[in-house]
Amino acid sequence: MGTAAQGEARSRAWRLWITSGPGLFWIVLFLLIPSGVMLGIAFFTNSDFGSPVLPLSLDSFSQVAGYGILGWSGANFTVLLRSLLQAGVATAVTILLAYPLVFFIVTRPAGLRPVLLLFAIVPSWTNQVVRTYAWMELLNPFAPVSRVAQVLGIIPPHLGLMPGNFAVLVGLSYNYLPYMVVPLYAAAEKLDWTLVEAGRDLYASGARLFFSTVFPQTLPGLLSGIILVGIPAFGDYVVPQLLGGDKAMMLGSLIADQFTFSPDWPYGAALTLIMLVFTCIGLIVFRRLTQRLGGGEGAML
Amino acid sequence: MNAVPRRIQRVLAGISLPVYLLLYAPLSVIAIFSFAPSLGHPGPNLAAYGLLLNDPQVLAALRRSLTLAIGSAVLGTMLGTLMGFGLSRFRPAKGGGFWVGTLPSLIIYLPIIMPSLVFGISELIFFNFVHEYTGLLSAGLLTMGIAHVTFQAPYVALVVYARLAGLDPNLFEASQDLYANAVKSFLFLTIPVVRPALIGGFLLAITLSIDDFTISFFTAGPGSVTLPIYIYSAIARKGASPEINALGSLMIATVIGVALLYYFVTRHRERGNRIPAVA
Repeated sequence: MGTAAQGEARSRAWRLWITSGPGLFWIVLFLLIPSGVMLGIAFFTNSDFGSPVLPLSLDSFSQVAGYGILGWSGANFTVLLRSLLQAGVATAVTILLAYPLVFFIVTRPAGLRPVLLLFAIVPSWTNQVVRTYAWMELLNPFAPVSRVAQVLGIIPPHLGLMPGNFAVLVGLSYNYLPYMVVPLYAAAEKLDWTLVEAGRDLYASGARLFFSTVFPQTLPGLLSGIILVGIPAFGDYVVPQLLGGDKAMMLGSLIADQFTFSPDWPYGAALTLIMLVFTCIGLIVFRRLTQRLGGGEGAML
Repeated sequence: MNAVPRRIQRVLAGISLPVYLLLYAPLSVIAIFSFAPSLGHPGPNLAAYGLLLNDPQVLAALRRSLTLAIGSAVLGTMLGTLMGFGLSRFRPAKGGGFWVGTLPSLIIYLPIIMPSLVFGISELIFFNFVHEYTGLLSAGLLTMGIAHVTFQAPYVALVVYARLAGLDPNLFEASQDLYANAVKSFLFLTIPVVRPALIGGFLLAITLSIDDFTISFFTAGPGSVTLPIYIYSAIARKGASPEINALGSLMIATVIGVALLYYFVTRHRERGNRIPAVA
């Protein structure tokens, strides 16, 4: 009996590895190992050509902390803080836009809902460069939007709404809005409306009704939305690169510079490590929150 | 949904319709500007599209993009389908320990959750080292393809997994009772059952490949300029131009076409089986 069960378990394991093995191996070989290599490089010394050489050192990390030939500078901290802030504000903007949108869709007739959801998602399927480029056309100094802002005195004449922090914020929010809409929609579609009715019977209304009946039910969706928006927005490269300019630099551009224009691989790898650390902190915090709130995606792998 | 009063419904619509407008305004601007008058072509015209279709650089970039998208999607779909199938069929339902239960999921989610910049730069460094020490894998379409497969396979696996998760496990036992061996049951039961997910996954993989810029940018070589990279460097070099607008419009139109196709192919009768596929 025992051997038959064992034999079956072994044949299951064998089939698991024969089917899933190649794909898993591919990801390990072409992503897990490369990212390990990159993190290792952070502990090497920079050669004159920007490539990593021995001996091992922590020089790159003191560079990250702002120490250089010219003494200490806070520029890196500013970039890090700006990236966190931009990602945070962009996430908040997507939340504020996604809630009304999602509940608008959910309150439509059932046949119309998938189409409305699709319309909200399709822009995110176009290439990110094209999407961001579109905002360059909308926000440049000669575009009507900038003209209006100039006339209203929001920006000085002859300047556009891009490049700058505002343009980056708009670009990030636009890019990642669908990533907030989808998980929120999944949560809102399953909403138990009898709870809302019960709340109304107890004479709750307005914000109070929303926050005690609707909000807790959509919280798991909101949390996955925050992860799906916040993490890629924090590490985004294209948007700050095209819409930002020097004064709106984010961590992504700073990292990329160390591998393209002025090569310094160990420094770039150390910066990447910082980006990954913040990404992981964000993931772990929100995963914990999700688990505590008892939300879990049933059909997740 | 009578739980939402009419007044609030009106507020929701009042906010949502501008949001929809906002979502499509930038894309429409590109399309409108692509017909803009240019030197020697007063009034709305199609000159930019003519220029585009006669530009050998653009056509070469298009050819590379398509080769990359289709080639990587074929391999990515194969690896992803096998992963999704294996994990849903042969993994113990509960537990399984770290090696069988947790690790495969962690590996599959790694490419999805990793910031694409970190992804791209890791590959850049890795391919650089491999090339330095073995002479293989010089930066080009091949390295880009490898990177693309790495992020396509997990998404395909999720689509296939979700499709199989909604399936009655008794079907597989029935096929065994009818003396189908593993290969036969895979070919005549699993493949037909997951076919919508397979086609959907393949289209998703193509969309992901065409949509990607950051990872392509860092794994590309001098001879493998694809459309997104071509657009990016054109913008960086000379800013906006009707030609780039025309190219952007065509790409937007194509993606919307593929997206609609994907939607109609994967639209199952079972609700709740839909995959939130944001890419």
